[in-house]
Amino acid sequence: MNRTRLVFVLVLVVALAIVGLSYLMRSDGGSLEPERQELLEVRVACALPVEAWVREAAEAFNAEGHRLDGVPITVQVTAVDGLTAKSRFDRGEFDPVPTAWIPDSRYLVELVNLTQKQKLGRDVFLTDGEYRARPIAISLFAWGIYASRAEVLRERYGKVDWGSIHDAAVARGGWAELGGDPSWGYFKLVVPNPQRNVGGLAAMVAAAGEYYQSTRIGVADVTNPEFQQWLGELMGAVTDFSSLSAYSAEDLALFGYSMGDGGQLLESDLLSHMEGIQARWQEPLVIIYPEYITWFDFPFTVWMGQETTAAEKNAALEFERYLLSEEVQAQAVLHGLRPVNTSVSLDIEGSPFARWRDQGIVTVVPRASAMRSPDRDTLDTLVRWFELNVTQR
Amino acid sequence: MQAQRSRTNRLLAILIALFLLVTALPFACWWGVSRLRAAVTPPEPTLRLAYSPEKRELLGQLLAEFERQGLRTTSGAPMRVAAVEMLPERMVRLAVEGQVDAVCPDSSLWLTETDQRWRETFLRDGVLVGEAVRFAISPVVIAMREDVARSMGYPDRPIGWMDILERAQTEETFSWSHASTSTASGLLATLAQFYAGAGKTRGLTIEDATAQSTLDYVAAVEATVRHYGEGELATVERALEEGELRLDAFVVQEQLVVYYNGRGSDRLVAVYPAEGTLWEDHPLALLEHADLDNDARETFQALKRHLLSPQSQQVVLQHGYRPADLSIPLTGEGSPLTAANGVDPTQPKTVLQMPSAAVVDVVRDVWWYTKRHTNVFLVVDTSGSMQGDKLENARLGLQAFVEGIRGDQERVGMIEFASEVGRTIPLDELGRNRRALEQAIADLSAGGNTALLDAIGAAYGRLQSLGDAERINAIVVMTDGRENASRTRLRELQMRIRDGNARGVPVVVFCIAYGSDADLDTLAAIAETSGGQVRRGDLTSIEELYRLISTYF
Repeated sequence: MNRTRLVFVLVLVVALAIVGLSYLMRSDGGSLEPERQELLEVRVACALPVEAWVREAAEAFNAEGHRLDGVPITVQVTAVDGLTAKSRFDRGEFDPVPTAWIPDSRYLVELVNLTQKQKLGRDVFLTDGEYRARPIAISLFAWGIYASRAEVLRERYGKVDWGSIHDAAVARGGWAELGGDPSWGYFKLVVPNPQRNVGGLAAMVAAAGEYYQSTRIGVADVTNPEFQQWLGELMGAVTDFSSLSAYSAEDLALFGYSMGDGGQLLESDLLSHMEGIQARWQEPLVIIYPEYITWFDFPFTVWMGQETTAAEKNAALEFERYLLSEEVQAQAVLHGLRPVNTSVSLDIEGSPFARWRDQGIVTVVPRASAMRSPDRDTLDTLVRWFELNVTQR
Repeated sequence: MQAQRSRTNRLLAILIALFLLVTALPFACWWGVSRLRAAVTPPEPTLRLAYSPEKRELLGQLLAEFERQGLRTTSGAPMRVAAVEMLPERMVRLAVEGQVDAVCPDSSLWLTETDQRWRETFLRDGVLVGEAVRFAISPVVIAMREDVARSMGYPDRPIGWMDILERAQTEETFSWSHASTSTASGLLATLAQFYAGAGKTRGLTIEDATAQSTLDYVAAVEATVRHYGEGELATVERALEEGELRLDAFVVQEQLVVYYNGRGSDRLVAVYPAEGTLWEDHPLALLEHADLDNDARETFQALKRHLLSPQSQQVVLQHGYRPADLSIPLTGEGSPLTAANGVDPTQPKTVLQMPSAAVVDVVRDVWWYTKRHTNVFLVVDTSGSMQGDKLENARLGLQAFVEGIRGDQERVGMIEFASEVGRTIPLDELGRNRRALEQAIADLSAGGNTALLDAIGAAYGRLQSLGDAERINAIVVMTDGRENASRTRLRELQMRIRDGNARGVPVVVFCIAYGSDADLDTLAAIAETSGGQVRRGDLTSIEELYRLISTYF
């Protein structure tokens, strides 16, 4: 190799080395542009009680590499309480708009449709056809009460229902008057804040149903002064409506009997925390099913607006089908949810329904009357009453 | 021909090589410069976090572990958390002003307060506080010296707020304190008094809180408080520093009892009040202000995951908190939540009902009028060495102090000193002399020597001649130099304080050693004689220090 060629090669090597080194060092920072690829993104706004299960399913779905017409689908799950999501839909605050919504209950879908109909003249979530709202799991409301407290209530009142809970709540002498340990203080009810958690609204509806011994309640019922006084006395037994999780079963587990003796809460939420409660407070909860049953059915609903493409809507349906598959429905059972796929049993291995049977969990609820979903005016009236008489008391 | 081709090839090769070099050079230079810049400029923090003081040790450890992971956001920025310690009340103000991206106060009640203040400030609906998570909880307890607790029936007989309040009123030597309502524990202690005054354990209303009988009761109880404090950790650390507990009882979070018993020579026990207590739930919350960027969001999410990880949750337990992870047993091997550490994980049995935000606001406002009032003299060094930034920052600190005292019934006066005792703003209720004080602070100017002891003596004499035993009497003195102009000697002043405090009214002297030249020994001697404290301050911390000391009053 002559000198000129040597110089040329050396200069070339140095230049390439500089370029290569720079390239390598830049890529070290992790800022390399990812390989762009067409992707169908399904954004799911999901109710809190099913979020853990849906998120887990979404991760598995994404990992399995599902495709629609050859295009990969990716699912993103955002946890949002049903009432909060409803308000955001009503005010047009979702940005970007979710491809699908899994609210706590079908009636929330109907309420959003009602508002949108006034604005747009059409439904944004369909009630029939391929894109109709379909329940993906079910969970009932049940009483979860610390065993020692339930025993005292049963001894005194014979049963645990809204009536006996009300009487316990207004007992001026607290647990000492009811026959319990005086160190328990006064009776403390657990009800989620209805302004922040749709479970609180469901609890008030269930209480009204039992008060009137009826499965259907309306505005006239909830504006009745006698009922309002009764409900106000019940709510007066809640220790704190301002806490972070607004009284879910998680609070019952974290703060134990000091903060709440018991309350009517979602069965799945109670089941998820049974073990933690027992571990932390060395006392189990007992589960008691009310006569007037309220439940959430977690409908999977696809947004029908122009903000999402037809392909994205169909991709959402792919994920819905996945959630309804036998395997994923079995996972729902492990999260304390009742499956909607009838081929999945509640007694599968590891099922909390089987594990906590001795604490009162039943797979089939006997002799119960199902509460009907109240209309929007009734729900608005209840929330307004709560705001004026409880949070601003 | 051959030679010409060879020359052409050579020229072509050199041209190509030069072209490549010229192309590569700017790229290499740019890379080099950006690397160099990165090396000399520390990266901006991606998350500005404010946390309450009692979590200093816990968060210090957890944040250090977080940073060690060297995580990066999707934009490539290193995930860094700039954590600042502050009292929750101040945290609310900074959150509303958009000066922090996330907060971690002692209780989520401050999150409600933040949203409320944000709505009032910007006259809008909605909330500022976004995603929030709890990673540790702790009940509020009455930390009591074991011998005192046993004399009240502990552990066989439940002890309640009423017992403490009754003992404080009937036994003159019983010494107790609680922080101001600017912390959740202080607020709880205050709420408990209002409940007791109203004869209730739940359903406290605005009418109850403002009834004359309730106010009289609370005022009578507050009159027994030895002093207030900037916070519960400060009370515990002071006791540890001094090697003994000067209080029989004080209100703190449970984990601070564990903390004290692990370090102190005497022993505390946690009393879980029979009427009920409150929980502190230590939320980590993201603030959805307009400038919040994706880097901050991602860092928040990563920090949240880190705090909730099994390893971090074990750290939480080791610091005496109850972890949010329910699978971790509180009574397992190695858990510090034991009777030996003075705590009982099966407690508390019941809580006090948290009234609505409106009632809590009333309680906090009314407390400023029912609390034990203060006569406090600010003694300010204006010697020549204070010139420039020092005086300017001291001015800001003094303003913060006066602003920090909300009740107009507190009496505050001010004495300037340099070569001799200078201008004096007489002690008077803030409702009457707030403006005069603010003007005097604005007019401060520096020059002359340092007659420190004469100035303290002057303030002390005025408080003794007032002889007001109903109030907390205190002097807050700040100096940046050494005594060199007084006629009074240190020993003489100490004797005067010792004698005056025993025969007359007790006067506590808080000393601020401002800058590295301040005479710490002299200040410490005066503070110790009066039962007060010495704090070090510098240009950056003086304002905050004055603000903290204002919480004692």
